[in-house]
Amino acid sequence: MKAVRTLETAASIGWNGTSLRAMLEANEEAFARTGRYAGVEALELKEREPILYEKIFSKLRGALVTARATAMNISASPIVKEIGELCFSVYTPEGDSIALSTGIIVHVHTMSDAIKYMIREDFENNPGIADGDIFINNDPHIGDVHNADVQTLVPIFHDDAIIGWAGGVTHEIDIGALTPGSVPVGPTSRFEDGIDVPALKCGANDTLFRDHELRCAKATRAPTFWKLDEKARIAGNHLIRRAVLELVEEIGLDTYKKAIREIIEEGRRSFLQRIKELTVPGRYRSTAFSTYGFSGEERLPAHARIDCIAHMPLEMTIERDGMLGLSMEGADKWGYHSMNCTPSGMQGAVWVVLSQLVVPNDKVNDGAYYGTRQYYPLGSWANPGDPSVSTGIAWLFLIPSFTSLVKHLSRAFQARGYLEDVIAPYGVTGNVFQGGGLDQYGAQSATTNFEFGCAGTGAGFCRDGLDFAAAVWNPEGDMGEVEIWETVEPFLYLGRRVKPNTAGPGKFRGGAGIESLKMAWNTPHYELQNINSGKAFENSGLWGGYPNATGYRKNLKRNNLAEVVAARKPYPVRDGDTAASEIDRCLTAELVQYDDHTVTLPHAFGERDLYLSVQNGGKGLGDPLERDPRSVAEDVATGFLSERFAKTTYGVVLTRANDDVDVDMEATAAERASMRATRRAEARPVSEWRKAQRERVLRGDMIEPVRRMYRSAMELSTAFADEFRAFHELPDDYTL
Amino acid sequence: MRMSTPTRTPKVLAIDAGGTMCDTFVIDADGEFVVGKAQTTPEDEANGFARSAADALRYWDMNVAEAFPTLVSGVYSGTAMLNRLLSRKGGRVGLLVTAGQEDYLLLERGIQTYLGYSYSDRLHVQTHVHNVPLVPRDRIHGIPERIDLFGKVAIPLYEDETRAAVERLVDDAVDAICVCLLHSYRNPAHERAVKRIAVEIMRARGVDVPIYLSSDLYPVRGDFARLNTVMIEAYAAAPSRGQMENVQASCEANGAHFDLRVMASHGGTISTKARELARTLASGPIGGVVGARHLGQLLGLKNIVCTDIGGTSFDLALITEGTYQIRSNPEIARFVLALPQVQVDSIGAGTGSFVRVNPTSNRIELGPDSAGANIGMCYLEGGIDTPSVTDCHIVLGYLDPNYFLGAEITLSRARAIEVVESRIARPLGLDVYQAAEGVIEILEDSLRNQVYSTIVGRGYSPRNFVCMSYGGGGPVHAAGYTRNLGFDDVLIPTWAAGFSAYGCSCADFEYRYDHSVAFPVSADLPDEQKQGLIARVNEQAEALKEKVRAEFRSNDVAEDQVQFELLFRVQYAGQLNDLEVGTGKSHLDDFSDIEAVIADFEDLYAKVYSLAARSPELGFLITTLVVAGRSDVEKPILPTRPCVGEIPSADARKGEREVYWRGEFLTAEIWNMEKIVPGNVIRGLAIIEAPSTTVVVPPDSLVELDEHMILHLRLRAASSGAKE
Repeated sequence: MKAVRTLETAASIGWNGTSLRAMLEANEEAFARTGRYAGVEALELKEREPILYEKIFSKLRGALVTARATAMNISASPIVKEIGELCFSVYTPEGDSIALSTGIIVHVHTMSDAIKYMIREDFENNPGIADGDIFINNDPHIGDVHNADVQTLVPIFHDDAIIGWAGGVTHEIDIGALTPGSVPVGPTSRFEDGIDVPALKCGANDTLFRDHELRCAKATRAPTFWKLDEKARIAGNHLIRRAVLELVEEIGLDTYKKAIREIIEEGRRSFLQRIKELTVPGRYRSTAFSTYGFSGEERLPAHARIDCIAHMPLEMTIERDGMLGLSMEGADKWGYHSMNCTPSGMQGAVWVVLSQLVVPNDKVNDGAYYGTRQYYPLGSWANPGDPSVSTGIAWLFLIPSFTSLVKHLSRAFQARGYLEDVIAPYGVTGNVFQGGGLDQYGAQSATTNFEFGCAGTGAGFCRDGLDFAAAVWNPEGDMGEVEIWETVEPFLYLGRRVKPNTAGPGKFRGGAGIESLKMAWNTPHYELQNINSGKAFENSGLWGGYPNATGYRKNLKRNNLAEVVAARKPYPVRDGDTAASEIDRCLTAELVQYDDHTVTLPHAFGERDLYLSVQNGGKGLGDPLERDPRSVAEDVATGFLSERFAKTTYGVVLTRANDDVDVDMEATAAERASMRATRRAEARPVSEWRKAQRERVLRGDMIEPVRRMYRSAMELSTAFADEFRAFHELPDDYTL
Repeated sequence: MRMSTPTRTPKVLAIDAGGTMCDTFVIDADGEFVVGKAQTTPEDEANGFARSAADALRYWDMNVAEAFPTLVSGVYSGTAMLNRLLSRKGGRVGLLVTAGQEDYLLLERGIQTYLGYSYSDRLHVQTHVHNVPLVPRDRIHGIPERIDLFGKVAIPLYEDETRAAVERLVDDAVDAICVCLLHSYRNPAHERAVKRIAVEIMRARGVDVPIYLSSDLYPVRGDFARLNTVMIEAYAAAPSRGQMENVQASCEANGAHFDLRVMASHGGTISTKARELARTLASGPIGGVVGARHLGQLLGLKNIVCTDIGGTSFDLALITEGTYQIRSNPEIARFVLALPQVQVDSIGAGTGSFVRVNPTSNRIELGPDSAGANIGMCYLEGGIDTPSVTDCHIVLGYLDPNYFLGAEITLSRARAIEVVESRIARPLGLDVYQAAEGVIEILEDSLRNQVYSTIVGRGYSPRNFVCMSYGGGGPVHAAGYTRNLGFDDVLIPTWAAGFSAYGCSCADFEYRYDHSVAFPVSADLPDEQKQGLIARVNEQAEALKEKVRAEFRSNDVAEDQVQFELLFRVQYAGQLNDLEVGTGKSHLDDFSDIEAVIADFEDLYAKVYSLAARSPELGFLITTLVVAGRSDVEKPILPTRPCVGEIPSADARKGEREVYWRGEFLTAEIWNMEKIVPGNVIRGLAIIEAPSTTVVVPPDSLVELDEHMILHLRLRAASSGAKE
């Protein structure tokens, strides 16, 4: 029962002879009017037949999990196969997610945006939406985070009406952007973001259009991965379609239609209920920052050569009914860089956090989306409103901006007594090892090494953070096998080790990060970027916990490693404590790049050049002076903390006998008492501090990036400008 | 359980020593069998086994000393090694790894922090934890050296540093040394050099501890998984060897002449003297699959869905065209491993799974945690505070609370009703029976989805399959989870509860060695390259065969008694996922053999993934050579008994019971499985009880016992096609 359509004969494909667009509008109108999804009042099916209801859901979920497992095996990309960067979802005809698989939960709503875009743009009339069609999207301005996340959408028809959509998304290893890899740093406009497939029909009769396949194969540096990933998404979608049709066959179309609406409305109610259970209503506020330094970068257009600090205020409100509000009022303007985000991407990041902290179960769907209100000011980096803006590495702003959400939720959990769920914010997930060139097989290729999915998490309320095993965007971190990455990248791992001093100190410390030292090998030329936080802390820890260490860059080009090895002298396998660098101890080089310039354009690596990739730790919780001194000793003994910080940060005095590290309890107590005394001596009343700050602000005593940030935020938001002036008691005409 | 004839010649013995019970299965020359049970004795498995064997032989009025001398085959499957691993009570191992990788066990690749978790917990990062390392960090040393993926030396081995590292391990009094260097599967030179140096040092110091090389034991790509496997070999497998030898000795003391074999993850059995015992670690769910395949061969069934429900999990495997798929990176006990393992998918849904109503969503949730050996709240002594699936069975009347485990344990129906009512029914606004039946329906539905998606996901249709149902809980739910799937037949062996042990006795005596290679294949290779490829394959295969021969030699099996088969793992060039294809030959004759392998790979690929995903334009890569060597062993034959009439004898009928079925109480006939004879037909609604398993026959269905003591579950003709 293939519904073959042409432009001339296009008929309505919605239910009961209506158009899809009319269905979407009716749904939205009903939500606006009632506050309930599709206006669903009673969960009749669920209440009348709770068992059948559960069976329907489990069938849909089962199909998604099967689709993901099958697709994972088709893809060749280590990002998809080894790291699991793919996700499937099943949608209502209007594009609301009913259920989704494991994987990159960020996409709970992005594909929904894409489907709705196609409906609003009247795709059902032109280019037509028919059984067997295949659509593709990766445009964040339509519905995505960045171009690297490529979505395939397949409509599901029953007779001549559309009854839903299957959607799958994978993260590509190279996206054919200005610079190699999946998350390019360097684009200053969307025209450099790489392959652009803004919600296009790319196949019919379950077959990809040949022109589409050929065009994409030419537009990426990793055509094989692209091709197999696309096959994987399509195969998964077709499995979902089959399962949905079988379910309809089993329970009847009317029951199916009723069920999918109720499942989403129930998702909304459960979400509100969950928020009510876990949190205390109120207003939570915090600001995060992200930085990059491109001043003097000759390869960028002149207007993009600036040093930047981005302003990321996040206010969370929780209403009495559990409605969760998020506002980024006060964010500064978008810029000529690739870290801007679209509202769809912001949504994605919100879901990543909420699905880990609030609703970690298999029943997450767009219902939860309807339980939130989100505001991203137009013109800001979080909602540029201009389709020419680049979003290539949106995550570099997304991640720091939502560290505040983690903080807010943790405060709310703590206030309510859910201490086990408290978690201090993550660090930025970097350094990203990304680039491209001629690989060990002599072919043009590119890579994004997903080792950076294994950062340290924030500290808990009564335990340390998880070491090197998760990322804020993916709780299921996997570094991948060294031997597998070495088949993909022309680099040898000289080491992959625990990185000392990465964890944010606190009564409970954050999880630690790792470092990989890699040597270019078997490549005539390869270019790599550094991508990490570097110039500023993006956020603080919780309740006196410190932030994690910021990243740094260290590359050794044209070094003497070959001679060192020939003489069988020690060569470095890590950098270790930066104050006693192993790299410096073993090697010299014509060019040593060691600085806080952690966001860079690609730069060249030749045979045996070294690249250091440091992954960050998580933030701490509580005052480090309250940390159990024995835990500090253990961190020193295991190499998580350098001895020099035991005293200066934690006030712990250690003793050493051979390899054993012990605590001098008495000296520690004295040290801590003295540190507290110093703190008291140096402390000033807040009123005094504010006065001094006010003077600085009045004088305009701030570095240019900070001045630019506040000026931009104040220009964009009157509310923020008013608040800024009021806080610092500035005159009404104060500007920067 | 008993099936007896007057004279006995016991031939095959199988022992399945589980976590709590040790099952023994003895089969005689006519295919007749007995099953015995005894409590496991973890500290001395031989003891539990001896009592379990005695328990079985009691049915034949024989004792161990009478029975053992006639046995020609004995197979063991146990959890001793797994327990050693889980309780971290293994050997004092030292590791030598490529310098820079010394933190392997701290890092765990990140992935081991959530292995084995439920979906919710995988999302919920606060639940993720690192595992206690098997080897502390101070007994792991880096060896400066690097070999690249092509096997080329990038940094030569630093011999002085190697010496120093070995010296430190010897100082540390390790009882085994494992060596795992990067890309050693491609070029083992550095690992061998490390061994040479270590041997020299130990000789000089008068120490002798075994050295395990990853390139020797598990030469496959994937450094962390390979390290784990070699480490577990030294840490848990080798120390468990003694326990297996004790079982062997205990057999011999009773007059047995056979060499005890152990079930291994690749589906074959290996000797207790085998070089690699780690692969016996993961044999748990494999036995049933091997048994199903053997039964299939005897019955002429090629496509079988194997389903096994125990207290905590539902295990599912497919046999297609008489073979099962092998996966090469199984996850066991929160370790990623580099071992060939019969592909069995497990989901956390068993008869002991907890049942809850989520207070937020008011929806039923099953598992993933389970009451395990404590059954459910109906078992008052179990101390459980959450109702389980078994509580629902009791509420509905599926199980007799006074005949659980053959009346070994008494359960409380009143308690089951009380808790299902208060915890599940009331919150959902259902009555207690509706609620309990709903739970069963949800469970069976999710199992059915799993069965279906596994078959369809691999490109098959249930219509070409029969389903075999076994395990203590399988037959209770078989009718439910196979309903409407359109299987050709649903088979329930009357020895379902001991099927795992039975399966072990059906396994070949088979060694299997894998070796990662990288042989590109395309049809347009020049002739000399084609010949070169054949020569290289045969040469490497010969090396693997020699390993197999050596294993058999240690069991005095002559070479001419070993049948070799060459298998390949193949992938599309550039992909990462390979599939295994057999050749049916022991060596390659010419390029047409390779072409046949490629054609089989493409067929299989299209089935396992999808036709659309085939990518022959990428070319092909042989990633792994596999040599399997098999030697004939005595296997169980099927018992064959004359079929008598459809009507079971009067003494087979235990009585009747009210059973809640689809919204009402019906009277079910209760039958004693041990008294039913071939030819008997039992129409639903009926319950067939055996001490360790129960078959539920729905009202529209019947079961027939065939001449081989296998029950066939079918829809009744009159009501066939009736939609539930």
